[in-house]
Amino acid sequence: MEIIKTDSLEKIYSDNGVPVHALRGIDLSIQKGEYIVFAGPSGSGKTTLLNLIGALDKPTKGKVFYEGKDISQKSKKALSDFRLNNLGFIFQAYNLIPVLSALENIEFSMMLKGVEQKIRNERAFSLMKDLEIEELAHKKPNEMSGGQQQRVAVARAIINDPTVVLADEPTANLDSKTGGLLLDLMEKMNEDKKITFIFSSHDKQVIERGKRLLMLKDGLIEK
Amino acid sequence: MILKLAWRNIWRNSRRSIIALSSISVGVFAILLSDGLNTGMIEQILSNQISSSVSHIQIHNKGYNDNKVIQSIIPEPAKVEQTIKKNPEVKSFSKRVIAFGLLSSASSSTGMFIYGVDHKDEPQVSSIKDAVIEGEYLMGNDKEIVVGKKLSEKLGVGIGDKVVAMSNTPDGAIGSDVYRIVGIYATASSEFDKVNVFINIKAAQKLLEIGNDFHEFALILNDIKKLEVAKDEINRILSEGKYEVLTYRDLLPSLILQIDLYKESMWIINLIVGLALIFGIINTMLMSVFERINELGVLMSIGMKNRKIFSMIVSEALILGVIGTLVGLLIGAAVLIPLSNTGIDFSWFAAGLESWGVGSIVYPSFMIENLITTIILIPFITVIGAMYPALKAIRLEPVSAIRYV
Ligand SMILES: Nc1ncnc2c1ncn2[C@@H]1O[C@H](COP(=O)(O)OP(=O)(O)O)[C@@H](O)[C@H]1O
Ligand SMILES: [Mg+2]
Repeated sequence: MEIIKTDSLEKIYSDNGVPVHALRGIDLSIQKGEYIVFAGPSGSGKTTLLNLIGALDKPTKGKVFYEGKDISQKSKKALSDFRLNNLGFIFQAYNLIPVLSALENIEFSMMLKGVEQKIRNERAFSLMKDLEIEELAHKKPNEMSGGQQQRVAVARAIINDPTVVLADEPTANLDSKTGGLLLDLMEKMNEDKKITFIFSSHDKQVIERGKRLLMLKDGLIEK
Repeated sequence: MILKLAWRNIWRNSRRSIIALSSISVGVFAILLSDGLNTGMIEQILSNQISSSVSHIQIHNKGYNDNKVIQSIIPEPAKVEQTIKKNPEVKSFSKRVIAFGLLSSASSSTGMFIYGVDHKDEPQVSSIKDAVIEGEYLMGNDKEIVVGKKLSEKLGVGIGDKVVAMSNTPDGAIGSDVYRIVGIYATASSEFDKVNVFINIKAAQKLLEIGNDFHEFALILNDIKKLEVAKDEINRILSEGKYEVLTYRDLLPSLILQIDLYKESMWIINLIVGLALIFGIINTMLMSVFERINELGVLMSIGMKNRKIFSMIVSEALILGVIGTLVGLLIGAAVLIPLSNTGIDFSWFAAGLESWGVGSIVYPSFMIENLITTIILIPFITVIGAMYPALKAIRLEPVSAIRYV
């Protein structure tokens, strides 16, 4: 089943008045449950594409369809709701709220959805157990290693049962062993929970393990 | 959870927050100090006026207060006295003869109000007996007179000296008599002491040739809160329109007006302090927003609504405002409550205060309305100060916030 489709997607940024053509016409289709990597050199438009698919930004031209519905013209508030209900995000850094513990960070996403305190706690704990990060529950981000923080970020991204998780260079700040473990975790979530994962990365390891690879160059998909 | 988040965010940069808190606390303390002293002074002026002569309620012949002529005597004193005695709110009362006249010593003379009072009843109503600093209060003898310190200095007389009092009698003649100074008093108001002298009521009636008549009943109540109740009850019984029953609020209209104006003006003091604080709050909150732009970007990305982000930032300021205000109140209480018992001695520059009827020692005091104004207004102002930084925060776009370096 097709979950995401883009239709000649273009994004032009303005860099102090100078137009920067970050995406020049992207047509792609992503099926539910895919595990897909956008690869390509720095500046090729990976993050931009991920942001448009993730409803964080609006395209200059073209459309993004989510389950057949055009989301590219929705209001800010509607997009915020859409993200909360359908998507999970993992960023390269600054993922966690520094003043909240791992457990509270995970609960926070559920709180935004209005899940009751008791259920939040139960669900967060059971997921942490699944991901084997229970011992991090009461640690603050600055008491965790980079790898541990990213594992908590994965937990936070999937706690609300999103259909799609978007991960922008999730392993960029990790050594390859820790990065590998994080990828194991996400692969497992992809297989067990059928969550669609979309990565952007120029990390060899991520690219090798991708089940589908899209190469970007200068804002276009290379065949 | 928003509150928990706000609370922890405050302590991320604890030094900055403590500086913000301190400025709020100092502001609140400054308000309390200024309010405490002003209220203390006003209350002292009022209570000095009440205790030196005004009392809680005065009863006169109708029209006396506007036109204090000797002829304007109380029509049926026995009836009035009975009414007063039956009223449960009345603690004590005193009958007074009051006249304007001239008091002369061997060397000099001055205008004065002469009060003829009962030497036993009057001390139950006014504090002149306690204010005697030399000699004695009236003992009931015919030729006694008690004068104020300022007046004794003006006339150049002391204890045991003779003075002559002169005043008009009701039929236009001039009554005069010689008295011997038995006591000198000093109240908090040197203005009062300069013009008021006390003799026995019988002596005054003789001087003015008014038989057993007199001009005023001065009443003290058990409970000042029953002021209007007592007035209404007395008015109800003395309903023939022959009398006027006046409370100290009726008798001291300009002072009461001043108190009311002061209460109003507390708003302005609060507002000035609040204005001084608001820029500090704006600055503190702006810095705290700018420090976590990336984090705000992540929060927006994962679906935190603008409304929640806005209320998180406003809550941070509100918490600062509430804690700062509470700490300011506590410091105020710790400093001012002991001082409200011991008083603050302003005698080093109090010459001005004394003629105002304050006394050189000011006892800080508070009006609950003013405290409530501060408790509400200062946190409210911190919330106002957080509006602009919070708006800045929600105007961020998630993508550029995450990219922000
Ligand atoms: N907000 C922005 N403003 C201006 N230019 C931008 C902005 N974001 C990205 N770009 C530019 O767009 C191009 C694509 O960037 P990006 O999508 O971040 O690439 P990648 O993630 O593959 O490194 C780059 O040239 C980048 O400099
Ligand atoms: Mg990128």
